[in-house]
Amino acid sequence: MATTGTPQRHPPAPRSPAHRSPDSETVDEEIAFDTRQRGVMIPDLFTQPPPVRDALATETSQVQDETVEVCLPLLGGEGNDVQYNEHGVPPLDRERHVRFLHQCLGQLPGRFVAADASRPWFLYWCLSALTMLEEDVTSYRQSVAATARSMQNDMGGFGGGGRQLSHMATTYAVVLSLALVGGDDAYEVADREAMWRWLCSLKQPDGGFQVCLGGEEDIRGAYCATVIISLLRLPLHLAPESPAYTEDGSVNLLTGVGDYVRRCQTFEGGISGQPNAEAHGAYAFCALGCLALLDHPGRSIRSYLDVPRLIAWLSSRQYAPEGGFSGRTNKLVDGCYSHWVGGCFPLIEACLNSTSGGLGAPAPAAEDPATATASSKRLPPADESLFSREGLIRYILCCCQDETKRGGLRDKPGKMSDAYHSCYVLSGLSSAQHQWLLDDPEAAQQQQQQKGQAEQGPVPDQTTSPPLPSLAGGEAVWAILPYLDGLQVFDNADRVRPIHPVYAIPQQSVRAMRDYFRARQGF
Amino acid sequence: MPSKGKPAKSRASEASKSSPQPTTTTIASATQPPLPPTPPSDDTQTVSDRAKSRSAAARPLDTLLHQKGGALSALSRQDQSAWLAARIASRLAKRPALAASATTTGGGAAVARLSCGGGPKTLKEAWKAVNELSLPLRAVDSTSAAAARKRGYCYRNGEGDLRVKEFEARWEKKLVLSCLAVESRCFRDRRERERRGDREEKTGEQVVVTEHEVFEETRRRREMAALRRELYGGGVGKDGKLATDPEWDDVEPVVLEEPEGALAAIAYPADYAEAMAYLRAVMQAKEYSERCLRLTEHIINMNPSHYTVWLYRAANVFALKVSIPDEIAWLNRVALSNLKNYQIWHHRHLLVENYFPTIASDPATLSTFAAAERSFLQQILSQDTKNYHVWSYRSYLVGKLNLFGDADELAAIEAMIDDDVRNNSAWSHRFFLVFSNPAHASPGFAATEADPKVPAAVVDREVEYAEEKIRLAPQNQSGWNYLRGVLVKGGRKLGSVGEFVVGFVKGLGEGEEAEDVMSTHALDLLAEIYAEKGDKEKADLSLTRLGQKWDRIRVGYWEWRKKCVEAPA
Repeated sequence: MATTGTPQRHPPAPRSPAHRSPDSETVDEEIAFDTRQRGVMIPDLFTQPPPVRDALATETSQVQDETVEVCLPLLGGEGNDVQYNEHGVPPLDRERHVRFLHQCLGQLPGRFVAADASRPWFLYWCLSALTMLEEDVTSYRQSVAATARSMQNDMGGFGGGGRQLSHMATTYAVVLSLALVGGDDAYEVADREAMWRWLCSLKQPDGGFQVCLGGEEDIRGAYCATVIISLLRLPLHLAPESPAYTEDGSVNLLTGVGDYVRRCQTFEGGISGQPNAEAHGAYAFCALGCLALLDHPGRSIRSYLDVPRLIAWLSSRQYAPEGGFSGRTNKLVDGCYSHWVGGCFPLIEACLNSTSGGLGAPAPAAEDPATATASSKRLPPADESLFSREGLIRYILCCCQDETKRGGLRDKPGKMSDAYHSCYVLSGLSSAQHQWLLDDPEAAQQQQQQKGQAEQGPVPDQTTSPPLPSLAGGEAVWAILPYLDGLQVFDNADRVRPIHPVYAIPQQSVRAMRDYFRARQGF
Repeated sequence: MPSKGKPAKSRASEASKSSPQPTTTTIASATQPPLPPTPPSDDTQTVSDRAKSRSAAARPLDTLLHQKGGALSALSRQDQSAWLAARIASRLAKRPALAASATTTGGGAAVARLSCGGGPKTLKEAWKAVNELSLPLRAVDSTSAAAARKRGYCYRNGEGDLRVKEFEARWEKKLVLSCLAVESRCFRDRRERERRGDREEKTGEQVVVTEHEVFEETRRRREMAALRRELYGGGVGKDGKLATDPEWDDVEPVVLEEPEGALAAIAYPADYAEAMAYLRAVMQAKEYSERCLRLTEHIINMNPSHYTVWLYRAANVFALKVSIPDEIAWLNRVALSNLKNYQIWHHRHLLVENYFPTIASDPATLSTFAAAERSFLQQILSQDTKNYHVWSYRSYLVGKLNLFGDADELAAIEAMIDDDVRNNSAWSHRFFLVFSNPAHASPGFAATEADPKVPAAVVDREVEYAEEKIRLAPQNQSGWNYLRGVLVKGGRKLGSVGEFVVGFVKGLGEGEEAEDVMSTHALDLLAEIYAEKGDKEKADLSLTRLGQKWDRIRVGYWEWRKKCVEAPA
């Protein structure tokens, strides 16, 4: 943290008069000398190994030590051919990253055959990253629409390529890509009725979703499904063919999703991909994203998760001196967790900072009374950042940028950049550079009710009793501000475009797509 | 067609000799065309050179004219009329119908007008000249590459003009290819007859295509494919592994065209593109067969992360009632060469789901199966100790086969923790083994909730285990997370391990010199223990020191924790 970093920071390099030449013409030289005096403004937190280390060496500690070793020179301002600012942080090399990302959208060579089932991801990763770099991606509108059409199945959903089975992950990636390029032509690509049927066929009686017909059930499925339902404004009731269908209509597409998420929280406090596995950063984001769509995070996250344990686990994902996040306990930092873990914090903050669920009020009861766990304890708001934004930004700008002409962003020094890491490293940068504020649930609800009245009548689901879960969280409007507290170690030009904390694309893109389908009667 | 008549060489020679311009080369010498000079007929002669010289030989007068700079007036008078005659004759030669009508009564004048713009007399003279000079009537039209292609000839290869020798070799290959194609056609016919149940014409026996014939045909197609590749370049569906395999003759591959402007399109290797085209075809036909199994294996070898192929393979395995142990043995080989792949583990999951009901009532088979699975999991985890998908599968397997109480399973996990006490995946699995064991766990409790059914002895044992491992490496968070998890699950106060924890923190708040923290995780837990006891001051101090010195990167979190301590419970 910048605020407490002062005592640890090296004092500014002394410019003793003895070093200063009386000749004014040498001033330039002296400034250059100062820049070469690297590390003058870098807190030793980021230049020294951690203060507590064990003597016992195991495979885990060996790879951890190696990682610290490759990061330290870059964090200490000793990277080759890199220009550092006065904080020892290099600029975001937009030009190279943009070029790299455009390339990844073009024709891929034969060795990319392993990506044959995940081409839609390349679309999303590249378009999202380009958008964050403030590139205009609307020129891709027609080609995204055509590519998406070639991957859509009559049975609903999108596969990894033409004539491949529809998959939740690839469908998510396609829908987000369509939202990113925007426009009626893009929105009209998705066959919403078929999509709804397909999602119904994947809905499981235990609340979760399979990722494809006959495929595994995991928390990715739940997150992708809620995002797709919300963006395309699909109806929530179940088709009779759904494995989760009940005749009394007591189950809809979202029923039990919260409980499924709850079963994925582990004893460590983090979230696993499916119940009984190890806590993992990517699944933590899926869990929180999912809950933030079901309802206001102030209610849903508290209802279903042990929030203090989750925060403890999320926080311990950040390491020093690296500054980046790891995905699991005792694993290495990786740039992609800048998003998967870093992206959890805006949702956690929204949860803690909502007054209705916070210090003033008890947590609302979940579907199952047993879920009123430790979360029912009142939690203080997060007035200040729960993670070190400076640390994450340093890791991203110093360690995750490919410094060769290739461009793109990466896992860690020594790894090749790729589209996946470019996207999620930049998403993480966006989390670190901005803050998101969410209206209180009550205020949001009132607003929604007024809107509902204006639009002639409430959502039909609410007429049934007991109330079925809805996508109340999807209506939430987030205020996005640049984060300006404390010391800013990056240059203003390096602030990337903010993205929505749940959909991971700009809020305007989310709103435009949802507005487009709002007016739609039926499919 | 008019006859060419007898050679008129001598007459022409005479005519040229009488020419007033001695420098002019006349048609007399043009029987051997002067232009272009005939290239030496050796290995270096290219096909287009040869074609050019042949063309020139067929148009001696044109060649001459070209040599003279293209102006007709530069030719001798005789050559001029010879040139004209050749033009007229060749025009007629190209239009046989016109030439034929010239012989009918009254047709002559019309033909003459059409062909030379003159009267019948002009035409007659032209024929006479052609006859006397023995000029060729028909000649190769043009030497252009386009014209060559039109006739199906290839004069060029990648390096430039083809040499005559190469050209002839090419011809030979084409000939061989045609012969092979005929033989291949015969094979297909025979197989069709076999299918229809026809009888052999000579013996009257049922037509049977022997294995040897199939073998020969496969060999033949490979040869044809190689020839085609050589002659015409590669191409999907013509020369691939499957297209040359008679087994796949009845399948029309479904080739997918990418839309224009398709993004992130992959330049597929030909083998892969071919296999996918056949896969689409058999999937569309919902075919389940041995050859489909082989096809999925072929594709999985090239791209193991293709979920569609895996699910289709599973469907084949179940439809064909393939022995599950056999399939698992195959899968083991694939898994070992694709450590990071996770479709493999879902496939295994599906296999077990299918297999388990068939062995559930047979304890011996069940325990053999469990042991075999464990042995393989150990093998793969020894290479990739924290593989998320392997561990997820392992927890599924434990649940499915109820291995919670299995001493071997617990021992295997302990061995892994002994190997690397920081292997958090192993710790997580242990927690699952111990606290999800239906023998003493209540269903429905969250992982971070106390379960009243867990026996005290189990909690004691696990606390002791965790403490023992923490002593080996106090800054290892896996052990601490486990310890804390055990206490919460067992409904114990965190303070019950206070004495153990405080051993890792010395002289807290007693100054830089005196304060020593062997584990930030101990200090973290200590803060919670103080808060639990209501000692807010010490809790606050612990958290402050974490943020100030021992774990500075998390200072924002430690500050928030301080507010939690102050907040009313």
